[in-house]
Amino acid sequence: MTNAANLLAFLGLVVTLLIVWRQSWPARLRLFVAQSLLLAALASTIGVLAQRRGLLLVAAVVVVVKGWVIPRVLARIGAGAPVRPVAPGRSSGLALLGAGALVVAAYVIMLPVTAATELPTERAIPLTFAMALIGLLLCVTGRDALGHILGFLVFENGIFGLAILATYGLPGIVEAGVFLDVLVIVLIMEAVVVQVRREHDSIDVDHLRELRG
Amino acid sequence: MMLGVLLAVPLIGAVLLWRAAGRVATALHTLTAGFTLAAALAVGVRVNQGPPLVALDGFLRADALSGWMIALIGIVAALAASEAPRYLAQTPGGRFYPLFHLFVFTMLTAVSTDDVGLMWVAVEGTTLASVFLVNFERTRASLEASYKYLLLCSIGIAIAFLGTVLVYFAGIQQFGDEAHALRWTTLQRLAPGLAPRVMELAFVFLVVGYGTKAGLAPMHTWLPDAHSEAPAPVSALMSGVLLSVGVYAILRFKPAVDVAAGPRFAQNILLALGLLSIAVAAAFLWISANYKRMLAYSSVEHIGLVCLGLGVGGVLGTAGALLHIANHALAKSLAFLVSGRIRAAYGSTEIAAVGGLMRSQPRSGALFLAAILALVGLPPFGLFVSEVMILAACFSQGFPLVAGAALVLLVIAFAGLLRSGHAILYGTPPREPAMETHGWRSALPGAAALLLLLLTGLVWPPGLGDALNRIVAIVAP
Repeated sequence: MTNAANLLAFLGLVVTLLIVWRQSWPARLRLFVAQSLLLAALASTIGVLAQRRGLLLVAAVVVVVKGWVIPRVLARIGAGAPVRPVAPGRSSGLALLGAGALVVAAYVIMLPVTAATELPTERAIPLTFAMALIGLLLCVTGRDALGHILGFLVFENGIFGLAILATYGLPGIVEAGVFLDVLVIVLIMEAVVVQVRREHDSIDVDHLRELRG
Repeated sequence: MMLGVLLAVPLIGAVLLWRAAGRVATALHTLTAGFTLAAALAVGVRVNQGPPLVALDGFLRADALSGWMIALIGIVAALAASEAPRYLAQTPGGRFYPLFHLFVFTMLTAVSTDDVGLMWVAVEGTTLASVFLVNFERTRASLEASYKYLLLCSIGIAIAFLGTVLVYFAGIQQFGDEAHALRWTTLQRLAPGLAPRVMELAFVFLVVGYGTKAGLAPMHTWLPDAHSEAPAPVSALMSGVLLSVGVYAILRFKPAVDVAAGPRFAQNILLALGLLSIAVAAAFLWISANYKRMLAYSSVEHIGLVCLGLGVGGVLGTAGALLHIANHALAKSLAFLVSGRIRAAYGSTEIAAVGGLMRSQPRSGALFLAAILALVGLPPFGLFVSEVMILAACFSQGFPLVAGAALVLLVIAFAGLLRSGHAILYGTPPREPAMETHGWRSALPGAAALLLLLLTGLVWPPGLGDALNRIVAIVAP
């Protein structure tokens, strides 16, 4: 079972790297759904492993919220946007290189955590942290609102995975708060993006650069 | 019970105001703000004089530190609420009142819980409740500001979540399935046994995360945009108390980190970020051409000072920082409220478009002058006293270089703020503005804030010193 958890975390990281690599928006969205489902599987694996029923419920909520509701909202936001926001000829090699460096950095940063624990899942902790860091990279290098939101969601997924691996589930109120939070952020983002599109006729947030100094 | 009432008042007010309109809404808004103020002051006094208030099996808990923040939020919210009807008369629009009180509710929740998980949820709630208020006027600029605000603060708060997870992890690693391992009181008890390296890592994430909400440089970039584009009453709330709620969240974790990892670690981080914030603010105070942005950068400066005070610690530094939080809240919310009136009169937030405020708007001008003098740290206002306390603490705790650097930067900031303030108050406007129409009654809430600032600056009311000591005993034992 421990191997299963570690394998799932590893697959999650692979999917994250694929998100960095792929440029087409629908493909990235599908990969995000896959990543969320992997996390749900991870949560239920640990739920069985540590005999925490609560984690099975968490896994079910992940499937519904991140596997279904949020992708639908994202698809709505992205409707009509060009499939590839990046100009042709720009490869994702550099971004992948950065992501690789972040994986190394994640191992270094998480050393104190892995050193402090005997958990069977400890070896997967840096993998999920790397997911979070790569999400952050996607978010800051994203060139439109979709890129930003997707980066943020990957980042959030990574932290969520780390929380499950390191603590075997947080108290219920916090878990509920996290889900509600992500959902509301995505919904507010949609409202904001709708207004950006009305004002600027595109979701390219490069238009948003009036405030300076 | 008292805590329940405190949180229920703004929440019920927000729910009722959702459907209300016209004069009913204004009356309901005034009632809600009044009751919130009364409840906040009652709780603030009660927890400072007596033992902590606990409700819902310890889920809600207010000690003297919470009480200080609760009273402050109540006062600033009342101040901002008094200006809101005047703002809405000029800019009518959707759900201002309910979001306003929801915003107050989330801030009050963040400071009156024992559970750092719930505190995290509430701090995140402050962003979600206020993002539509920032974008209330739905202009291009306010849209950009709210987009940045939502994105940056969401990332920040997610980083703070990571820190919270690591703290929880440290707790259950050391003590097995400790019940309530996310409770602040439990954390204090367990602190000596927590893994020091994990707590250090957690604190870094917590400072970056909550520091984003607190507006510490270099995570402050959302702040000038959001504070300048938000309606004046919202800017007052954001600058006056929302930033301090971020500082409060860091402050809650600091004692446990100090015990687990030694006091040097948190100290170095806070001193570095504090100095950097003051430096960034000092530079931008000279170049910002927009007076609301200028006030926003002044907030970065003062939060930096608060960080210095908390960083050097000790009784003097911590008490100075706490007092500075209160003084800054009063002075800055007053300045932002007057900035709303200036904008209404001149139709612009550019410093170049405004001038001669003292002639055209004598009442607003006098309030603005007093607020600027207080913000640059001149006596007889309270900020002078708390700044001296913080700098004196730097010297006495063995950080003369930090104090010296802070002093130089403060002088630069002083000159920058005063230069722009002078242009606004006495300069020649490109075109004459409308003359002031509101009577002396409109100046009353601002005058009350100034009176409080004079009290903390000249004669401390009886009990203030004791109150500060009791709070310091909680965070710097």
